Amino acid sequence: MKRRGLHYDEEHAFLREEARRWLGERCPIQEVRRLAEDPRGDDPRVWQELAELGWLGLLVPEAHGGAGLGAVHLAVLSEECGRRLFPSPLLATQLAGLVLARAGSDAQREAWLPGICDGTVVAACAHLHPGLGEPAVVLEDGRIHGDVPHVWSAGSADLLLVPARTVSGTRFVCVGREQGRVVPEIGLDPSRRQGRVRLEGVSVTSDAILERDAEAVWEEVLPWMLTALSAEMAGGADALLVMTSEYAATRQQFGKAIGAFQGVKHPLANVLVGVEQLRSLVYGAATALERGAKDGALLAHMAKAQASDVYPFAASRAIQFHGGYGFTDDCDAHLYLRRAQCSRPAFGDAAWHRRRIAGHLLGA
Amino acid sequence: MIARASENELESLRSDVRAWLESHVPASPAFPLPQNALLVTEERQCEWLREWQRRLHAAGFVGAEWPVEYGGGGRASGSQRVIDRELARVRAPFLVNNVALAWAGPMILHHGSGTQKRRYLAKLLSCEEIWCQGFSEPGAGSDLASLQTRARLDGDAYVIEGHKVWTSLGIFADQMILLARTDPDVPKHAGISYFLAPMHVPGVEVRPLVKLTGEGGFNQVIFSDARIPVEARLGREGEGWKLTIATLNFERGASEGSAGASDMGGGSVEEVVALARSLGPEITADPLVRDRLAAFAIEAAALRLGAQRARVPGLVADRPLALPLMFKLTGTEHSQRLADFACELQGLVGTLWKGEPSAPDDARWQQAYLNSFGGTIAGGTSEIQRNLLGEKVLGLPKSR
Repeated sequence: MKRRGLHYDEEHAFLREEARRWLGERCPIQEVRRLAEDPRGDDPRVWQELAELGWLGLLVPEAHGGAGLGAVHLAVLSEECGRRLFPSPLLATQLAGLVLARAGSDAQREAWLPGICDGTVVAACAHLHPGLGEPAVVLEDGRIHGDVPHVWSAGSADLLLVPARTVSGTRFVCVGREQGRVVPEIGLDPSRRQGRVRLEGVSVTSDAILERDAEAVWEEVLPWMLTALSAEMAGGADALLVMTSEYAATRQQFGKAIGAFQGVKHPLANVLVGVEQLRSLVYGAATALERGAKDGALLAHMAKAQASDVYPFAASRAIQFHGGYGFTDDCDAHLYLRRAQCSRPAFGDAAWHRRRIAGHLLGA
Repeated sequence: MIARASENELESLRSDVRAWLESHVPASPAFPLPQNALLVTEERQCEWLREWQRRLHAAGFVGAEWPVEYGGGGRASGSQRVIDRELARVRAPFLVNNVALAWAGPMILHHGSGTQKRRYLAKLLSCEEIWCQGFSEPGAGSDLASLQTRARLDGDAYVIEGHKVWTSLGIFADQMILLARTDPDVPKHAGISYFLAPMHVPGVEVRPLVKLTGEGGFNQVIFSDARIPVEARLGREGEGWKLTIATLNFERGASEGSAGASDMGGGSVEEVVALARSLGPEITADPLVRDRLAAFAIEAAALRLGAQRARVPGLVADRPLALPLMFKLTGTEHSQRLADFACELQGLVGTLWKGEPSAPDDARWQQAYLNSFGGTIAGGTSEIQRNLLGEKVLGLPKSR
């Protein structure tokens, strides 16, 4: 019989509880601020803990050392990380693992995935598109050459997956940290570092070229990436809503808490509606992906479009309703604002995803 | 609480309902039917719909989860939702006794005496008695608790004096759920009582109101020393407000207890996409149109998935009140903007009104847009809904 309703059970609830507890201890906002000043931007000492928790290999099949879990687990973990602005290559590594699992041969998967799962290999994957046009890296005569900007966690990565144009189509190429040159970009969001990967005639052997066509793999993994990122954005938007509501309920002016004024109350109600609708879309997408339902990709586009609108909106109301204090570095809202603004265009902004959705509704 | 039905029971019910509907959904009548219960204005519409509800009830599909002794189907929890979904799937006619099924019925079932349950429930389900609601007054809308209609105890009757407004189905109704003030000397919330008031007694006058669309559908009801029996009171004197909050929860979509679905007929995203296609490639290729359609599709998916998520405790644990308190607000505003967008797409042709032969689909979208304000204003305005979200979900203080 067809299964109805969203997929969510005690296992997912348990992961959420565990993630909240761990992140509550390991990643209070002071830690986010500390890492913002750090040259690397993340703490390698916690990476081993992430391996032990099974989070690095969350999606990797058990045969390669992973937990073999699904999209709903990914959404839950991403949401909780987003709530805490967890500065980590965690998501970048999970996404790289997804690409490796789909694009690699058995030998390639066996070579790389166990290291990702056990914490010995931090990985990052350059985006194929959208917003970045044709891959800027070319593979010719056994050498790759080119320049890829905006790669998440590139500076911390031991392994980089870079899409390259070849004579037989686009392929992901595995590049070790000592082969490529990563130039850290100074970004608006210090909690998610980005780097420009410079490849100057780096020689690659055939076993470093992932065998499946990169475009095809990207189409398959994109809905997973969108769902994870949208879940992360939902967590962050939710944290902003909680923070701002608490402030509005206590900050007194004109003899009452400012949240009593509808000029504050109603926009916050609108943020609430946006965030709750986003969560519904995220878990709808995650359920569909996990069940292999045909609307999984469509729902993932919807979730990202919604997230791209809601997270920045939540952030702008948070700054605004914290008043003068919100305009200072002291207020935590701007840390989330930076993450929101940088997550908005990643893997396609709202308009890009709505174009894909319109294509589904109206045909081409 | 009644037991949950098993998947097998629900599957079996689903096929029974489908089979019954295949041979029992009546052909459309010769005269036009309105889009929902609140728009019924003609006797012949009312009688036709009444007969449909009677048949549906006789088949066991109205009040499916209510106790058998009161005319219900005695089925397990989840059954009514299955039935309602099947009715929606074949676009079966709506149930006219909307106020009864969604508000009066659950109220009597949960708070009425045994005598009241036996007296009212079966006839309510079968549509033998039609119910209307007497809450709002010209001076008491959003601030309902300030209502002034008076109920004075006089021997074995209450004497009702006052003026109710926005009374849908008033001209057809046999009974009214009535809020009236029994004690004017206590704080406003504490002096209100709840009545199950007969409409066909001397002193009750129903006057139709005309909506902005030119249609009837709601009314004023003027009480001039109308006597109703003491037994008509539900609960104790002064309990009316507490019971009202329960009613308003049913009205705002939070209830699991309603006895049958009522489709407001606002139109779907799929229908607007079809409209866009029918207007040709200039419209369907327009990037702004495409973007707006996609945005509506996202919103519709969020509404649908929100209803599913509301049933998963682990996914609403942080804010269990958010989704139930959002349903009315988000659904009505979505429908309103969607209808307005359809009108926009139609351009100058969309300036025609029903009755004009070249009006597209008899000005269906124009009517839907004008009627959509019923949704955003009645049952707690969108502004009140946002207040509620801010106060009950986000913990912000009240505005007054």
